[in-house]
Amino acid sequence: MCMRFKLPNVTEMNDWIAIGALALVGVLIPLGMMAVSYLLRPSVPETSKRATYESGEIPTGDTRVRFNIQYYMVALLFLIFDIETVLLFPWAVVYLDAVESDAVSLLEILGPMVLFVTILLVGLAWAWRKGAVQWAQTPRQVETEHNRP
Amino acid sequence: MALLELPAWTTLAPALLLALTALVLFIIDSISPDAQNSGLLAGTTAAGSLASLGVAVWYLLAGVGTPTVDGGRGIIDVLGDQFVVDQLALFFMIIVAVVTALVAVASYDYMEDHTYQAEYYSLVLLAATGMSFMAAANSLVTIFIALELASLPSYALVSILKDNRGSVEGGLKYFLIGALSSAIFVYGISLVYGATGHLQLENIAAVIEAGEADPYGGLLGLGILMLIGGFAFKTASVPFHFWAPEAYEGAPAPISAFLSSASKAAGFVIAFRVFTEAFPVAETASAIGVDWTLAFIILAIVTMTLGNFAAATQNNVKRMLAYSSIGHAGYALIGLAGISAGGGELVMGAAMMHLFVYGFMNTGAFLFVALAEYWGVGRTFEDYNGLGRRAPVACFALAIFMFSLAGIPPLGGFWSKYFLFTGALEAGLIVVAAALVINSALSLYYYSRLVKAVWIEEPVTERDGLSQPVGLYAAIVVAAVMTLALLPLFGPVADTAVDAATAMLA
Amino acid sequence: MEDVFNYAPAIALFPLVAFVVALTFGKYMPKKGALAGIIATGGSLALSVLMLVAVASGEVYHETLYQWAIGDAASEIGADGIEFTFGILIDPLAALMLVIVSLIAFLVHIFSLGYMNAEGETGLPRYYASLGLFTFSMLAFVYADNLLMAFMFFELVGLCSYLLIGFWFRTRSAPSAAKKAFLVTRFGDYFFLLGVVAIAATFGTVAFAGDNSFVAAAESAIDNGDTLFGFGAETWVTITALLVLGGVIGKSAQFPLHTWLPDAMEGPTTVSALIHAATMVAAGVYLVARMFGYYALSPTALAIIAFVGGFTALFAATMGVVKDDIKQVLAYSTISQYGYMMLGLGVGGYVAGVFHLMNHAFFKALLFLGAGAVIVLMHHEQDMWKMGGLKDKAPITYYTFLAGALALAGIIPFSGFWSKDEILYDALIVGLEEPVILAAYAMALVAVFFTGFYTFRMVFLTFHGEPRSEAAEDPHDIGWSIKAPLVVLGVLALVAGIANLAPVAKLAHIDITFLEHWLDGEYGAVEGLTYSAYGELLAFETAYIGGEQLTVLIAAGVSLLLAFSGAGLAWKLYSVPEPVAHKERLGGARQTLESNYYQDEYQVWLAEGFTQPLARAADRFDQTVIDGVVNSVSTASLFSSSRLKRIQTGLVTNYAALLVAGFIGLLLVLGYVGGWFL
Repeated sequence: MCMRFKLPNVTEMNDWIAIGALALVGVLIPLGMMAVSYLLRPSVPETSKRATYESGEIPTGDTRVRFNIQYYMVALLFLIFDIETVLLFPWAVVYLDAVESDAVSLLEILGPMVLFVTILLVGLAWAWRKGAVQWAQTPRQVETEHNRP
Repeated sequence: MALLELPAWTTLAPALLLALTALVLFIIDSISPDAQNSGLLAGTTAAGSLASLGVAVWYLLAGVGTPTVDGGRGIIDVLGDQFVVDQLALFFMIIVAVVTALVAVASYDYMEDHTYQAEYYSLVLLAATGMSFMAAANSLVTIFIALELASLPSYALVSILKDNRGSVEGGLKYFLIGALSSAIFVYGISLVYGATGHLQLENIAAVIEAGEADPYGGLLGLGILMLIGGFAFKTASVPFHFWAPEAYEGAPAPISAFLSSASKAAGFVIAFRVFTEAFPVAETASAIGVDWTLAFIILAIVTMTLGNFAAATQNNVKRMLAYSSIGHAGYALIGLAGISAGGGELVMGAAMMHLFVYGFMNTGAFLFVALAEYWGVGRTFEDYNGLGRRAPVACFALAIFMFSLAGIPPLGGFWSKYFLFTGALEAGLIVVAAALVINSALSLYYYSRLVKAVWIEEPVTERDGLSQPVGLYAAIVVAAVMTLALLPLFGPVADTAVDAATAMLA
Repeated sequence: MEDVFNYAPAIALFPLVAFVVALTFGKYMPKKGALAGIIATGGSLALSVLMLVAVASGEVYHETLYQWAIGDAASEIGADGIEFTFGILIDPLAALMLVIVSLIAFLVHIFSLGYMNAEGETGLPRYYASLGLFTFSMLAFVYADNLLMAFMFFELVGLCSYLLIGFWFRTRSAPSAAKKAFLVTRFGDYFFLLGVVAIAATFGTVAFAGDNSFVAAAESAIDNGDTLFGFGAETWVTITALLVLGGVIGKSAQFPLHTWLPDAMEGPTTVSALIHAATMVAAGVYLVARMFGYYALSPTALAIIAFVGGFTALFAATMGVVKDDIKQVLAYSTISQYGYMMLGLGVGGYVAGVFHLMNHAFFKALLFLGAGAVIVLMHHEQDMWKMGGLKDKAPITYYTFLAGALALAGIIPFSGFWSKDEILYDALIVGLEEPVILAAYAMALVAVFFTGFYTFRMVFLTFHGEPRSEAAEDPHDIGWSIKAPLVVLGVLALVAGIANLAPVAKLAHIDITFLEHWLDGEYGAVEGLTYSAYGELLAFETAYIGGEQLTVLIAAGVSLLLAFSGAGLAWKLYSVPEPVAHKERLGGARQTLESNYYQDEYQVWLAEGFTQPLARAADRFDQTVIDGVVNSVSTASLFSSSRLKRIQTGLVTNYAALLVAGFIGLLLVLGYVGGWFL
């Protein structure tokens, strides 16, 4: 199935050929190297070669490890503040120029960002109160903590 | 009225109020995280959604969003055309707010002893915020963000019964299918952007009308089709419907009501807006070589047929309602299938009316299931046998919902379906109209089965008196009264819907 | 006088109020609703007379009162839309009929005091309520200004007759008779309904009068030579006119739908009087008179009416001669007399037909009420062979009954003679040109003989000779409420002929044909609904035997001679102290006559031998084919439903695969149609 892209003229076509050729070369070089090494190398089958880390650690357990859910909580909180920074940065860059300009009032400059940060702070406060930033709080642990004299 | 003096962004108040209420809920929960003050939480949610409803109705009556030629205050653009507040937006904001309020009131009893109540209500409100913004979003970016804002809380809401396998399973499936659909949708956005160079709907239309997108016809067509996929997911239309039966069945019944009524309506409003604003029928057809209505014709027929046929032999009431909800999505799709170069106001207006009526009757039906779950009577038709004698009020309301869903005159569901039928005929979609009639006839079978079970059949086991939870009863009665009240009120609703559709297609 | 017409709706509404009052409060009222009925019909009578006076002073009334539906379908002749209304049309004909109906109803109500109340009947509120509804329906039918409204009240009249004939519903025969009357007339009414629909669809109007009437539309369609529904205009008019005639034949008990009427004698005698004289049976003939302009357009339809009328007149008269029950004799006489009216109308004798309708109303009401009086006298014995000798014991009853009998037999100078003679004369002069009409005339003429015979057989057996039973020797008393109506009607039976002394007028050249002038609109008329207007439409030629006066004399002489000879034969056979039955002399004909020509038998055979198997076959078709298709559709739906359910496997990976497959399918369809893959 190929899409019908109406192409206006032939010169653009040449660009596409170049890209195609580049892609082709990009695929052929590694494949060629692998093929050459396959032909040249000696073949000595041995069980230790099948280990994950042939010359290092001896792996234990499954490859699928359950991470503590708290990692995700931290990652999520981090992500939120990360995005906050991303938005704050350009705002901070234009802030001084905006203050000097007469076109916009201070409220209009400051207001949205304050609102944005407020929302995030409400979220953070809630998460804090809910114990999202406390480490390793499984229900059982919480229970024992409560029972501590 | 001092509306004109207010800044333009205040016209988004219905959506903003919902968001604000969600924040208030967070604050309440932060103050006392361990208290389970369900009355306060549900009350705040209901108050917020009712405020949103009131503001939206007030705006609509005050003429906000009505074109100035019709004596209104004009369509209002917000944030550089990223949002637009017009009759269509307000109409659907009303639907979302109404359903949210009903669900909030009903949840007071349903979620009574639940652990995560604050989260529950704030997620409902955040999803409602997303749906409300969907109604007003006017660019593919804001549409996508609003859509995700509506979707992400929904996933969590479906699986909020963490100890219930069905709930968690449904939520996961919903999330996976949703992720796939979102991927398709966002890919479609990128293709449309690639073909036209714009994301804002009017600008896309301008490019297509100028014929500048003609060289990329296939690209644009694929993009449009992928957008349709995104809408189909949100409205639970075939083939993106697979999440619906399990998510509706597994979710807490109020959430099923919320998703199948409000979320579906929100899906339709973006479809209405995108396809009428961004892709004018005739010009788009000349660019991509085919009328996009064809896709909706196929989807409408397949969706209503699959939904109704699969519903016919279900034994589980909630699952039956889930499939019936898919069938109704098929009916509403006629609103898009019937749009043509010179017309379609009536059929699109009819689809809007149907979604409005559906907001009451379907919410009511799911809330009855919520009531049955609250009683713990069971899930199948047999379990519902003989409830009519124990709880006549609620069962009478159920009969109203069922007959209205089936489209029995003179209930609201009949009129919207009748307008869809005439609209389809007017648009020359005889096959679609025939499918509508056949499916409606079939639907009467399984809807009346439930009424029969409740009123006529003898109960399988003797049961003691059933309690009467105030919140659930109130929500069900209000929904039933509104389904009935739409008899006299149908004129204004129909007028508003057709006006909104006319304004969109003008 | 014009304001009088504002009260026109009240004429019909008074009895309706009486109906409601009798139904709801009848139980608590002293005379069980009779007084309400008497006051109401009295009011109707007074208003009707006022209407008559108003029309006489040159006013007419034609007003639409209520429009209940508007259709926008174009009709066959191209008129846009159709309006269905309730309206009132009071012209000379309607005014005359209103007076007749309300008068008879009034007298019947009074008579009922003696006949029903005094005899201690139960269920009287029901009786008077039905009577009120009956009167209301008939009065509203009489002044209906359009065919559909007329049809509605025509049906209501039928319903009321059902209720009243079956008044004694605890007996075996009364409910059966009521059912029979209802079904047989309804059979005719189906054709009537078809006719109404056909006329409405053809002309886009159902109005009787005015420029927008279907009569005017039909006339212009015939003049233009239009083709209507694939027929020539005149043929189509004939077809629709005959369809409407179906209702007339049922209601007016013409052959072959007359079988219900003799059975209807199961009702109270007062009801028979009302049915036969003024309401139910009269409704049929009145309808023909009401839309006479339409029938006048179709000579074929008229000839059929005339022939059916003539045949029925003779047919019923022959059956009347062998009946032993006094009410049965009267029943067959009614059928026969309505046959005369049909004959009169059928030959274009509009005035003659209406004249006979009027006279018949008086003398038949009289005869039935007289028969009712006799039945009271005889302690509810109806067999004439058990009567006799009542002449001296109940002179008022005897003399009034005799007046009615003379009128019925057509003995000069009683009213019946004048109208019957006029009908026969009209039939004769048309018949001289049209063989079919001549045959109808001949039959009607022979019927005159039989009429004279059975009428006087009845009189002699009932009143003359020696009493033949204990009851006859010691008759029951009758009160004023029975006598008063008899006297009023007796006088009318004697003098009503004055209204139109046509033979005298023709012979003596004096202008005394009042009814003809009345119906010709010399006082007041709605345009197009006059005798002369109808005359212009008629296509019949007329001829005379040696001049008009001679023809008049011959016609009158022959019919008088026959009537006298019939009466004379009855006198010879039965006016003896101890009369005996002479049926044996009839030989083979006796059985046939006593079995009413096996009419009931063949109609029952039609129902059981033909219709029932057909209905069974239709039922089987419905049960197997139609239901089979419906059932298999539902089975197929449920089967496909259970298959469709399986798509939902529960595995989210399948969902994703199906989702993508569905999406690609859609892409392929759209891409193929849109040509994206080229």
